[in-house]
Amino acid sequence: MNAESTTEDDADAIGDAIETAATAVGSVWPVHSFVTANPLAGFEDRPFDEAVSRAADLLGGRGYPRAATFRTALDEGRIDADLLDETLTDRGYEAGPEALLDRLESAEGTDEPSDAGAATRPDSDAERVDRVLTKWLSAFLDEGRAEWSMPNREAGFYDAFRSVAQHDDEIPDRGLAADLPASPTAAVESALEPYPDDRWQSIFEAQFAALPGWTGLLKRRADDGGAWQSAYPITLTGYLAARLALADAFGVDLAPPAESDGPVVDAEDEIAAAFLSAWEATYRDALVERVAAESEARHGERGARADGGASGRPDAQLVFCIDTRSEVIRRHVEATGDYETHGYAGFFGVPMEYQGYDDDVSIDACPPILDPQHRVAEIPTDDGARASRDRWARAREAAGEAIETLRSNPATAFSFVEGAGSGYGLALAARTLLPARVYDLLSTTDDAVPGDHEFCEPGVHRQDGAPGALPTGLTRDEKVEYAATAFELMGWEEFGRLVVFTGHAAETANNPHDSSLDCGACAGNPGGPSARVLAAICNDPEVKTGLRERGHDVPDDTVFLAAEHNTTTDEIELYDGDVPDSHAADLERLRADLDAAREAAAAERVGPAGEADSAGPGGAAGVREAERRAADWAETRPEWGLAGNAGFVVGPRPLTSHLDLDGRAFLHSYDWATDPDGTALEAILTGPMVVTQWINAQYYFSTVDNAAYGSGSKVTHNPVGNVGVYQGNGGDLMTGLPLQSLMADADTAYHQPLRLSTVLHAPVDRVTDILADNEAVAGLLDNDWLSLTVVDPTRDHRAFRYEEDLEWTPAPAAAEARPGTATTPAVADD
Amino acid sequence: MSGPTSKTTVGALRKTTDSSFVSAVLTWLAWSLFAASVAVLVARLRLGASWEVPGAVAVDGLTVLLWTVVTFFSGIVHSYSRRYMGGSAHETDFFLGIFSFTLAVMALVAADHLTLFWLCWLAMGLLMARLIGTVDGWPQARAAASVARRHFLASSALLGVALLTLWRATEATTISGIAASADGLGGPTLLVAGGALVLAAMIQSALVPFHGWLLSSMTAPTPASALMHAGFVNAGGILLTRFAPVVTAETGLMLALVVAGAASALGGKLLKTVRSDVKGELGCSTVGQMGFMIVQTGLGFFAAAVTHLVLHGFYKAYHFLSAGDKVERTAPTETESELGGTGVAGAAVVLLTGLAGGATFAVLTGKGTSLDSGLLLAGFVTLTTLHAARSAVRQTGLSTAARYGAVPLVALPAIAVYALAYEAVSGLLAGLPVVSAPTELTALHALVGVAFLAAYVAIETGVYERSERLYVALLNAGQPAPETVLTATEEYDER
Repeated sequence: MNAESTTEDDADAIGDAIETAATAVGSVWPVHSFVTANPLAGFEDRPFDEAVSRAADLLGGRGYPRAATFRTALDEGRIDADLLDETLTDRGYEAGPEALLDRLESAEGTDEPSDAGAATRPDSDAERVDRVLTKWLSAFLDEGRAEWSMPNREAGFYDAFRSVAQHDDEIPDRGLAADLPASPTAAVESALEPYPDDRWQSIFEAQFAALPGWTGLLKRRADDGGAWQSAYPITLTGYLAARLALADAFGVDLAPPAESDGPVVDAEDEIAAAFLSAWEATYRDALVERVAAESEARHGERGARADGGASGRPDAQLVFCIDTRSEVIRRHVEATGDYETHGYAGFFGVPMEYQGYDDDVSIDACPPILDPQHRVAEIPTDDGARASRDRWARAREAAGEAIETLRSNPATAFSFVEGAGSGYGLALAARTLLPARVYDLLSTTDDAVPGDHEFCEPGVHRQDGAPGALPTGLTRDEKVEYAATAFELMGWEEFGRLVVFTGHAAETANNPHDSSLDCGACAGNPGGPSARVLAAICNDPEVKTGLRERGHDVPDDTVFLAAEHNTTTDEIELYDGDVPDSHAADLERLRADLDAAREAAAAERVGPAGEADSAGPGGAAGVREAERRAADWAETRPEWGLAGNAGFVVGPRPLTSHLDLDGRAFLHSYDWATDPDGTALEAILTGPMVVTQWINAQYYFSTVDNAAYGSGSKVTHNPVGNVGVYQGNGGDLMTGLPLQSLMADADTAYHQPLRLSTVLHAPVDRVTDILADNEAVAGLLDNDWLSLTVVDPTRDHRAFRYEEDLEWTPAPAAAEARPGTATTPAVADD
Repeated sequence: MSGPTSKTTVGALRKTTDSSFVSAVLTWLAWSLFAASVAVLVARLRLGASWEVPGAVAVDGLTVLLWTVVTFFSGIVHSYSRRYMGGSAHETDFFLGIFSFTLAVMALVAADHLTLFWLCWLAMGLLMARLIGTVDGWPQARAAASVARRHFLASSALLGVALLTLWRATEATTISGIAASADGLGGPTLLVAGGALVLAAMIQSALVPFHGWLLSSMTAPTPASALMHAGFVNAGGILLTRFAPVVTAETGLMLALVVAGAASALGGKLLKTVRSDVKGELGCSTVGQMGFMIVQTGLGFFAAAVTHLVLHGFYKAYHFLSAGDKVERTAPTETESELGGTGVAGAAVVLLTGLAGGATFAVLTGKGTSLDSGLLLAGFVTLTTLHAARSAVRQTGLSTAARYGAVPLVALPAIAVYALAYEAVSGLLAGLPVVSAPTELTALHALVGVAFLAAYVAIETGVYERSERLYVALLNAGQPAPETVLTATEEYDER
C-alpha cells in the first residue's frame, strides 16, 4: 500500500507479503469508539477449530472455554446431558463426560506457563525490542494526551522513529538501527537478506503478532485514514521496518518457529469443541423449538400485530436496535399498552458521517462493515437556546483551560493544588459516599443547559458545493430509498399515529470502555443521532409521497419521531420537539407507559440489588439502583452490555413476543410474506447477521481468554493516549472487553461463551439461493463461525439446520426426538 | 393487549450478587477509626488534651491531624473499593492490605520510641509493596512489588542508620528525647544522621532520582494507588517534620533539601509533559508535588509542607479514582478558543490580581511578610494567581465581567481557604519542637527562584520543545522498570 516505490520486484513482493501477514492480527479500534469485532477476523477463512489453534500458536490465546466452565454449565443443566452424550458418541468418544473433562483439565495444567519461571525469566532480547517499540508506538499513536508529543510526527512513523532513534540510548548502536536507510522498504529488504523469500510472510506474521494490540490499532488507523492518520501517517511497512531494525540491533533471530507437523487441531481442543457444540445445541434447540411452535400456532395471521390486528392500528410503533438489550425493554413496553415494537439495525440504515453541534470531530455512525456515504451535521434552529448553551460551553471551556494551564506549568502547579485541594476533598467524599445524589446533580445540570437535540436539527437536506469528500445531506431519492428500505426489511404494512425510532446509548462514569456499551451498529457511538436522521427523513412530505409511490401507504396522521434508549437506566428520552399538538395526547400516554416500562425493565436488569431496600421488586428501587450505577465512579459493572448474547432471531415479533429471552437474543423484524424475491432477507444476512456475529465473537473470545483477547480487570487499567488501555505500567495495548463486562465475579462467568445461533423465519429454498450468491456469508457458516437454523413456514414450520455446502438437515420434531430437552431448567415453564 | 405476566424463559442467565463479609466489616471499622480520630481532634482543640505512654507513644497535634486525614482517605478508599473491587479474586486480601496499612500509618504517626517508629516505617513499606503486587498471579505485578520492596527496604535501612546514629549520640530512645537534645548534635554525627534521614525521605516520597518505584507501581489496583499517592508518599515529609530539630540544626541539610526538592519539582513536571498514559502522568505529577513539599521543609515551613501533603492528597486521590474518566475523542488540531492579547488595561488587571493574590496569602499566612525564605512561597502564589488571571483575560469569548472578575472571585477565596487550612495545621502543630524555621535567604534560594521563573517562561513559550534530545531523555527517564512492563498480554493473569 504505502510502501515507497522502488524499481525492484522485491518491493512489490514485500508489500504483498506484509498485507497478507497483517491479517493475522485483528483490527483494534480506539477505545473512545470501541468496536466489538472478532479478534480472529483474519482467520475467518479457515474452519473455526483450525483458526483458533493457528491463532493460539501466533497470539498465544485460548480458543475454547476451560473445563471448569463446561463443568459448571453441565451442573446447571445449560448443557443438556443427553445431548452431550449424543454429541460425544457421534464424535467417537467412548469415555464419559467426566473423564473427558478431567483430561481437559490436566492438559490445561501443563499448558500454563509455570508462574515462578515467568517472573524470574531473564529479560530476553525479543522483549527489549517489544519494549522499545511500545515506547515509541505509544508516543506516536497518542491522540492528544501528552502535553509534549513526539517530535517530527508529521513526517510519519518511520521518519520520526529514525530521527529519535539516534538519541535513544536504550537502542544499541549497532546493526541496522545504527544506520537506518531513508526508505522503510530498503530497511525491510536489508533485514530480510539472510532469509529466503518463501519465509518472508511467516517472518512478518510472527513480527506483527508480537504486539497484537498496537499492531491492530495502527493497522486499523492506516486502513481508516482518519484525521489523525492524515496528520501523522503510519504504515505497516514503516512499523515493520522500525521493528526489524530493532531486532537487528538487539541481535534477535527473525526465523519464526517452523509450523508444527502435528495434527492441525490437538486432541484436547477436539474434546472442548464437542462440549461447546452440545452447549450451543442445548440453547439453540430450546429457542428453535419455541419459535417453530409459535410459527405454527400463529399460522395464517398476517402482519406483525401480536393480537392479529383485530383492534386496528396500534397506539404507537417503536423501532429498536437489534441489540440484545432491546429485547428486555421491548417486552416491558409491549406489556404497558397496545404497542408494536420492531427490531432494526441501530444506525437505522443511513450510513453517514455525523457531526454534532460544536464538535471538533465527526463520527462514522454506521457499522464498520460499511463506509459512510453522507455527511450530516447538526444545524442550530433556535437562537435563544443556542446562545444559552454556548455561554455555558464557553465558560466551562475557559475554566478547563485555566485549570489545565495552571496544572501544566511547574511554577504554578503547586500553588494551584494547594488552592484547589479542599474542593477535591469534597468531591472525593461526594462521589464515593453519595453516588446517587451525584446522578441527581448531573441530571439537574443537564436539564439546565439546552441539549443539542433541543435547538438543532440534523441537516439531512442535500447541500451542493459543501466542502469535504462526502456529499453533505441526502437527495430526495436517497431519502426515500433509506425510508423504504427500513419498512421493507422490517416487513411493515401498517403505520400507527406515532412511529418512534429509538436509538440507544449507555451512561456510565469513570469507564474507558463506555463506548463498548454504546450502539454497535453505530460503530460504538450513541444511536440517537441516527434515529433523528431517519425520523427527519420520514417526516419530509416529499418522502411520504415517495413512500406511497413505492407502495407504503403512510397515513397523513402518522408522525415519526426519534428517541434514545439509555441502556444503563432504561430511560427512553423522546425527542418530541416537532410533534404537532394533534398528537399531544398520544405522546403523553406513550411517555407515561415508557416510564412504567422503564421501572419494570430496570428492576429486571438490576436484579436483587434493586429490591434490597424497597418494598418489593419493580418500582422506583430498580430505577434508583440503575441511576446509581450510571453515575457511580466506583462501579465496574454499570450494566451488562451485550453479555449473554447467544441468539439472533430474524422474523416477525409475534414469534418471540411471548418469550422471555433474558436479553440474550438479537432480534431483527422480518416478514417473509412481504419479501417475495428475498432482497430484504439478503440484506439482513449480509449486514446485520455479519455484525452480530462479530459482536458475538468478541464476547466469546474475550471470555475464553481475557488476557490475550480481552482487556483484563478494570481495577488495574491504565488508559493511554486516548486510544486504549494498558494493564499496569505499560507494554502492549489490551484489546477486547474488560473482565467485569463478562464475569459476575472471579469464579462466575456471566457471559456464556457460545457461538451465535441464528434462527430465520423464511422458506428454506430462498435462503439457499441467497447463500449461493453470497460466498462470504456461506463461508462463515461452512467454517462454523456461527450456526443457522431456518424455520420454514411453507413446510409445516419444520426447522432446518444448515450443515455445509448449502445442505440442510431437517430437525426432528423436537418433542418426539428428545423428550428430555423440554424439561431442562433452562427452558422450564414457570 | 398483550400482557402475560410470566413468559416462557429461554436460556435464562444466572443472577448473582455477592458481597464479601470481610470488606464490609473493614469498611465499617475504617469509618469508625475516622469518627474516633475526629473525636480526638475535637478533644485536642477544645481541651488541649494530649496523651502519651511515656517512652513509647505520644499523641500530639501532628498525630491527631494525620489520624484524621489518613482515616478519611482510608474510609474513602474502603468505601470506593466495596464496589470497585467487588467480585475480584483478591477482594479480601486487598481489604486486609489497605486496612493494615491504615493501622501501620496510624501507629507510625503516634510512635515516639525509635524502635516502634522504625518498625512501623518498615511495615508500611512492606504492606504497600504487597498492595502493588495484589494481583499475584501476574508476573509483572510481582516484579513491580519487588522493585518497590527493594526501595522501601533501602529507605528502612537508611532510617535505621539515622536512628542508630542519633541514639548513640544522644542516648535518647525516643523521638522527643532526640528533639530535646538535638542542639548538642554536630559534626559527622549530624551529617550522617541528617543525610540518612534526607535520603530515606527522598526514597519514600519518590523524589528524583528515586522515582522509579512509583512510576513502576501501576500494577496496584486503582484504590491502592490512590492510598499510595495520598498517604504513603507523604511519609517523607512526616519523617522530616518529626525530626525537624535534627534537620534544621544544619543549614547545609536545609539547602540540600531545597535543591533536591526543587530538582524533583521541576523534573517531575517535565517528566509528566511527555507521558501519554493517565496513571503515568499522575505518577510524574506526584514526583513534582512531593518535590515541592520537600522544598517547603527545606525553607523551614514544616506546617506548610504538612498542609501541602493533605491538600495534594485530596487532589491526587481524586484524580486516581477518576482515572477512567480521562479518555476523550480529540482532533489532531484542536480548535483552541480564541485567545486575544491582554492589552494595557488587561495587563494592569492581571498584575493587580496577581499581587492581590500574593498579598492575601502573605497577610493571612504570615509567609512572605519578612525578608526570609517565605518570600519564595508568596512568590509562587503571586505567579499562580497572575497566570490564572492572564489565562482568563485572554478568553475573548467570555463576557468582560467574567474575563476580569472570575479569577479574583475564585482565586482570592481559594487562597483564603488555603490560608485557613494552613493556620489550622499550624495551630495543631504548635506544640511540636520545630514548626516554622524560616531560613535566611541565600544565593541558592535566589537561584531556585530563578530556575522556577525560567521553567515558567520555557513552558509558556514552548521553547524547550525544540530539543529532540531532551524529549528522548525525558521519555526514557520516565519509563517503568523493564520487568514490570507487560509486552505479551497473554502473560497477564488477573488471579
